[in-house]
Parts: sequence; structure tokens; C-alpha cells
Amino acid sequence: MPARLRMLDFLDLLKFGDAGWGDELLRGAAMTVAVAVGGFLLGQVFGTLGALAKLSGSRVLGVAADFYTTVLRGIPELLVIYLLFFGTNLALMRVARIFGYAGYIEIDAFLVGVLAIGLISGAYSTEVIRGAIMAVPYGQLEAGKALGMRRGQLFRRILMPQTLRFALPGLGNVWQLTLKDTSLISVMALAELMRAANLAAGSTRNPFLFYGAAAVLYLTMTSISTYGFERAERHANRGVRRA
Amino acid sequence: MKKIVAALAAGAALLATAGTAAAQDWSRIRIATEGAYPPWNTTNAAGQLEGFEIDLAKDLCRRMEAECEIVAQEWDGIIPGLTTGRYDAIMAGMSVTDERRQVISFAGPYATEPIVFSALKDSPLLKLDFPVDRVDYNQVSAEEQQALDTLAKALEGQTVGVQVATTHQNMMQEYLPDVDVQTYDKVDSIALDLLSGRIDAMLADSSATRSVIETQGGVEIFGPGFTGGPIGIGVGVGVRQGDDALREKFDAAIKAATEDGTIARMTTQWFGFDASMKE
Repeated sequence: MPARLRMLDFLDLLKFGDAGWGDELLRGAAMTVAVAVGGFLLGQVFGTLGALAKLSGSRVLGVAADFYTTVLRGIPELLVIYLLFFGTNLALMRVARIFGYAGYIEIDAFLVGVLAIGLISGAYSTEVIRGAIMAVPYGQLEAGKALGMRRGQLFRRILMPQTLRFALPGLGNVWQLTLKDTSLISVMALAELMRAANLAAGSTRNPFLFYGAAAVLYLTMTSISTYGFERAERHANRGVRRA
Repeated sequence: MKKIVAALAAGAALLATAGTAAAQDWSRIRIATEGAYPPWNTTNAAGQLEGFEIDLAKDLCRRMEAECEIVAQEWDGIIPGLTTGRYDAIMAGMSVTDERRQVISFAGPYATEPIVFSALKDSPLLKLDFPVDRVDYNQVSAEEQQALDTLAKALEGQTVGVQVATTHQNMMQEYLPDVDVQTYDKVDSIALDLLSGRIDAMLADSSATRSVIETQGGVEIFGPGFTGGPIGIGVGVGVRQGDDALREKFDAAIKAATEDGTIARMTTQWFGFDASMKE
């Protein structure tokens, strides 16, 4: 710890405004939440589609979904982010050149980040949702059909509520992973929490203070969301008697 | 990770050259910097980029009559970002080396500074005696060789920390291959491990090292400063291969800024010494 820096100077670094890094860190945390929420929601879309594809019985869809989950869960998240970040730009510019446009196209780092996080989060969610759908006893669907329910009704009244209940604990897990995965997109220089902490640590040479502050902020975000998921689980289980 | 980045850079370079850029008048230039490498480039508490290279970039752009946008990019991936066209130039304390020249071109160099070893204040390494205070790898004299031998002997079995994918790492591999090298993503991480005693010494730019000494204390420089050879000829502006017009524009602006003393003044302001290129 720097001996020359008094405790007061030390805390001054976390001040808000132009003299301190407090506002940069908080804005970074807000960006982290934005990317995580966007990525997670997108991931739920991918996850639902993936789970339905796997359960559809169609060979083509099943193989495609298997390919998706195997690849995205099998290669490191950082690599996915690198490939998307550098790849999308390159691919777009090449396509544009074919059409005679030689200028520069930039894809927003935020969008690429949400897409990358969404793809990863979706791959994990696929398995969670697939497991949850399979946990709904098939007999209930047959019973619904026997009562004359249409497909939409079966889905809305029987499948959806129970799938959600079975999937929630797993999805809570995926959410935490997603939230922490956002730190990897700091390599794209998107000003999220990890990047802000990196910059502050590098520029002031006070790594402990800023990485510590980032850790506290991450922990705050994960704690709040854990509480949120607990509430949601309790709500989803309200009609189920606990052993 | 370094390999991944290198492979991506190579692949990207291939694709980028395949699609050759159309004529550009370079009235708008996008320049990337790291923003976490004081005093070269850093970020202030207001979140704005500042440092020697930020000032220099503004000066060069004025001379080139170009409108410039300076963007921050992490060191990892800064070259692939250039080759894939996210920006047009890099000014991030990047030394000109043959290895990098295979992937990108350089204008300049615009500044140079020796790289130095440092260790904890109570380390026996600080008690070593060296006959010279500068080693130029381009022409190693008998005395300089003696200094290198002393170093090699003293560092045997010790661990030295360097930033990954830098000229510093190249120097360790080429000239001190028997010393254990630990690589880090940034200078701060090396300093952290040095202070915690996990490594015995660190090798970094003298300005970055001074900055660690100033803010952290407890560390001191030892041995000669190194230049030339694997360390490269100085720090330059990285541009895509094939963007010759842009490179020439930068070259002319750097030449003018060197000759009228602008770079000498700016480096003295930021580094505390004149790091401009001398004939």
C-alpha cells in the first residue's frame, strides 16, 4: 500500500465529479447492468428457441441446437467475444465493399457485447429450459388435451407456469454467470465496470482500491439479484406444498 | 491469449488486405490509445484521456489538417482492432519492432526511452555494480557485454515480470533466456506482484517504472537502461499496411514536430526528460 498516500487522499479518489473516480465506477456499474440485462433477455430468447428445437423431434433443428450449445458452452467466453468483436466488423465491411462502399462502418460495442453475452447466456439457458419443460409430466398435457384445450391454452395454462417454476433456480444461476461474464467485454473497451476499474487502477496506480471497489459493486449487484430470484421462486412455488 | 490475438491479427490482416481500401483523403482520422499507461496515455478522474500521446496526437492532427477522434482500446486486441478497421492509427506507447512490422506499418518513431529493471528497496539486486549506465543492443561494447553478463548471473534462478507481447518480453527471451519470465497484462499487475514479493524484479519503460516508484514507493531502478536491438528503434504510430498516404502524412508531421522542438517540450513536460528522437 502506498505509504505516502494518506487515508484521506485514498478515499478522495472515489469522490464523485471530475476530481474522483466514483462517478466513473457507478456509470460503469450501470453499463454492466445494461449489458447483463440485455444479454440475459436475449439469452432467454435463444434459450427458449434452443430448448424448443431440441424437443421438437425434428432432426435438423435438433442438430442445429446441439451444435449451438456444444460450441458456445465449449469454447471460452473470452474467445467468443474476441471473434464477435473483431469478426462482425470485418464481415460487415467486406460485404459493404462488395457493394462498392469503401467507408468505415462501426458496429456499436454495446450491441456486440449484448449479442456475445446473449449467445453465451442462451446456450446455458437452453439446457435449463429444456430440463424444465421435460420436468412437466406429460400426463398433464394429455389431460388438458382430453379436456379440449387448444395448443395455445395447453402452453399458457399448463406448460408455461410450471416450466417457469422448474427453470427459475437454474436461470438464477445463469443470470449470475451472465452478470459476471460482462466483465470480459472490457476487452472491447466498452465502459463497463471492469473497464472503468482497469482505467482507474492504471491511471492512478492504485489497483487495490479500485479493484476492491469493483468487487464490492459486483457483489452488491449479485446479492440484490439473488434476493430478487428468491422472491420470484417463492412466488412461483406459492401453490406447491413444501415437504 | 497472446497467441489468440496474434492469430486473429494475422487472419484479419490477410482479409483486410484482400479487400484493399479505396482512396481516402484522410481528413478524418481515428486514433486508438490504451488510456492506462501513464505518462504516455492515461485517463483522468473526469474520465478523459490525457498524456503525452494525447497532446502529441492533437498537435500532429493540426499539422496534418485532419479532424481526429481519439478512442480508448485495451492493449490486448489493439492491433487486431487496427487491421479490422475500427480505427486508422495506434498511438499507445507502441515500440516499432520487426515482429509488429509483419502485421502493421509504422510512422515515426516519435519518441524513445530506455527500458530498465527495478526491484524492491531491500533486494540484493540493487547492490550490483555496473560499468555502464546504458546498453545499446545495436552495438554492444566490451563494457556493455560485461554489464549484461553481470545481470545474467545475478538474475539466474530469479523471476522477472514483464508486460505480455512487448519489446521487454522479447529482450528477456533473446538476451536473458535463462531467467524465468512472468508475463502480465499491464504494468500495474507487475508492480503488484513485485511489491508482494512474488517476483524478484520487473522490466519496463523507465517512465512507467518512475510512475510506479512515485505512486507506490518501495521500488528502485537498478542496472543500465537498454535501447536498440530487440527493443526497437522507438515508439511510432501504427497504421495498416497499405495505408501509405496516411503513413507519409504522419511521418511528415512527426518530422516537423521533432525539428521545431515540440516533442522535446512535450516529453519533458510529461516524462521529466527529453525523449524525442535524436539524429
